[in-house]
Amino acid sequence: MIQILKKLVLYGFLMLVALELLVRIFHLHNERPERLADDKNVEKWMPNQTGSSVTGNRKQNVGKYNINTFGFNSVYENYSPTAYSKEIALVGDSFFEGFHEDYTNSLGQQIENKLEAITVLEFGYAGYDLADELHLINAYSELFKNIDHSFIFLKFASDLDRDMYEPSFRLDLDSPLRRMVKQVKLLVYLNDIGALNSLTQLPQRVLNFLSGKEAASISLKEKTALLEESISDEQKFENFKKLVQRYPIDKNKATFVLNTYITSPQILWYLKENGYQFLDLSKAWKGPKPETLIYDQHWSKKDRALVANLIVDYLQKNTID
Amino acid sequence: MLFNSIDFAIFLPVVFILYWFIFQKNIKLQNLFIVIASYFFYGWWDWRFLSLIVFSTLVDFTIGNLLRREEVIAKRKLFLWISIVINLGFLGFFKYYNFFVDSFVDAFTFFGKTLEVGSLNIILPVGISFYTFQTLSYTIDVYKKQLEPTKDLIAFSAFVCFFPQLVAGPIERAINLLPQIQNKRSFQKTQAIEGLKLMLWGFFKKLVIADSLSPIVSDIFSNTHSYSSTTLIIGAVFFAFQIYGDFSGYSDIAIGTSKLFGIELMSNFKFPYFARNIGEFWRKWHISLSTWFRDYLYIPLGGSQGTTSKSIRNIFIIFVVSGFWHGANWTFVIWGLFHAILFLPSFITKTNRKFTGEINVLGNFKSLIFDSLRILQTFVLVSIGWVFFRSESIQNALDYLKRMFFNFSSEQYSHPNGYRMIDYFIIVLIFVVYEYIIRNDERNPFPFKNRYVRFLIYLLMLFSIILFFDDGVDRSFIYFQF
Repeated sequence: MIQILKKLVLYGFLMLVALELLVRIFHLHNERPERLADDKNVEKWMPNQTGSSVTGNRKQNVGKYNINTFGFNSVYENYSPTAYSKEIALVGDSFFEGFHEDYTNSLGQQIENKLEAITVLEFGYAGYDLADELHLINAYSELFKNIDHSFIFLKFASDLDRDMYEPSFRLDLDSPLRRMVKQVKLLVYLNDIGALNSLTQLPQRVLNFLSGKEAASISLKEKTALLEESISDEQKFENFKKLVQRYPIDKNKATFVLNTYITSPQILWYLKENGYQFLDLSKAWKGPKPETLIYDQHWSKKDRALVANLIVDYLQKNTID
Repeated sequence: MLFNSIDFAIFLPVVFILYWFIFQKNIKLQNLFIVIASYFFYGWWDWRFLSLIVFSTLVDFTIGNLLRREEVIAKRKLFLWISIVINLGFLGFFKYYNFFVDSFVDAFTFFGKTLEVGSLNIILPVGISFYTFQTLSYTIDVYKKQLEPTKDLIAFSAFVCFFPQLVAGPIERAINLLPQIQNKRSFQKTQAIEGLKLMLWGFFKKLVIADSLSPIVSDIFSNTHSYSSTTLIIGAVFFAFQIYGDFSGYSDIAIGTSKLFGIELMSNFKFPYFARNIGEFWRKWHISLSTWFRDYLYIPLGGSQGTTSKSIRNIFIIFVVSGFWHGANWTFVIWGLFHAILFLPSFITKTNRKFTGEINVLGNFKSLIFDSLRILQTFVLVSIGWVFFRSESIQNALDYLKRMFFNFSSEQYSHPNGYRMIDYFIIVLIFVVYEYIIRNDERNPFPFKNRYVRFLIYLLMLFSIILFFDDGVDRSFIYFQF
């Protein structure tokens, strides 16, 4: 009996080592850059990191990223806009950040390639909500003063859960222990594909079983969706108003990028009434829903190009000073 | 508790260690521990339905012991019928009540009468069809004096609720399982290793084949009207592999787990998709159920001993009842009927037992051509039958088949979530080839002498389990609903 247990442990260990090797050889794991909060208390990526973003069990989406010295994914090593050149900024979450494609073919690059003499500076960061975005613009007001126009991404479902900026829990994800765990690529991979969810949810399920409640059968994704739904449209509208009051933006130099199908009519009305510009994403893909990537909620390659075209059209129709 | 859950991954080693290290010295304690562990295993899903298992156990244990003392045939029959009525009564209520009520109402509506009978919101207790048949077989064997009834309530309880096969079989016979439970068991290294290998193979079939095909099959069967023949053929073929991977995977895990506890269960599948006719298919598919029906229904009805018309009647009865056993839906009845019709020609021409030997398609040119065609023909027919099995209603099944046969177009299937179809074709192909390699022994899925080759295959299987892991898929076993 002891002999078989020993053999099992040995075989198990060898299997884990071999799986770790296979994951590394086929590069199935995602390489997430390290985060930081800079001296202006803005959360961004630690400068000068490169790597590959991988999603899906079988590498369905792969993109190379390049975090510049400013802390964002871009072909430009630094952002230094000037008053005599034309620059536009893309401020948003993972949809604008674009880890799903090579940074050389990012949303910003696609826009830039279609326009002459315009530099697109990208400020996309996974998980940013409107508070993060407006805080960034506010904290770097000197830099944004020289940027001719900014596009601010607004996802109604998840970007308006709070009315002021505070450093997020995401920064805790980069604790020394987690950084160490991240060295085990098999763990990173298993975690990303959701294979460890049942393990991490186990304590709660045991508690539920003991207290006679039904075992938690909903996934983390569903939980997040439920949380998002729990904040009423009314509350989101209030948060929006407070945010634009707390972190004012130059209405002539900024455009919100949103999907009118899923944005509350109150906000659309407010934007119009108060002279804010906005760009309707649903016009890009001519419908309420974009086409997404495999196993991923982000825009597909095709729809990403459509968004780039939409912004290009907008820039061509609206002369930017 | 699902085999493919983290709960089971914790439960199994704990039970294994306690079973062999703490309770091994006393067989009664060890059996009591099996009962407690099995009740915990079942109660993890819903503890309220444990009372049904306990009640069923007590009824059949008592009747078994009453039969021991009773020699008067009329009284013996009475005891047997009490057991049958109670067991099938529970099964009928939980599984078929709403079906009969709805069918009754539909029949009245058909003849222009309206009848208002409310259906009940009944939850089907997991595994009820399996343990009911298992306990029934015990009582029938005792009644027929083929088995000595046990006086050991704990051992009998362990026989009824033994957790590896409690919720989805194999449906064991008391003649095979009860003596193993009553006699002292000792840990056998070879048996345990065989068990672990079978478990790995079972997990591969469930997680890689069944679970990864499941979302594609669901999409195709839910949107039949949007798809052309080619896609619907893919749907039917993939479902054939899904249900096989799911159920035979479960059976292998169950048999493998039992081996870890020193108990041998019967084989439930013997590579059925290599069957060369329907008769052979049914000797290889869900063996524990088909032999149960053969021994406790077909043979008592007269089997093939009477006139041809009686034999044909018996065949139809056994197939229809077997279909109905799967669920309270006319689709299962039609599925059973369909198989009866497929089986009939070989029965009449007495060729249903023509193929009993080893399958060796590559043996010579003749078998390469003829056996391949026979295997393909059987698989195609079985897959058509699966359309009835998988569809929500007979109308849906007929629509599916109609479009599958008559709606050809050049349209290429793409799953709404963008699944790369080529991945699934490749994995199914690899699976078929591997099954062919190991086709001679369903209890030994890794028959390779070289330990490095074996290690490589274990590794590749684990790796593919990870590669095809899908967080969003419903991981329960299809046969749990039966």
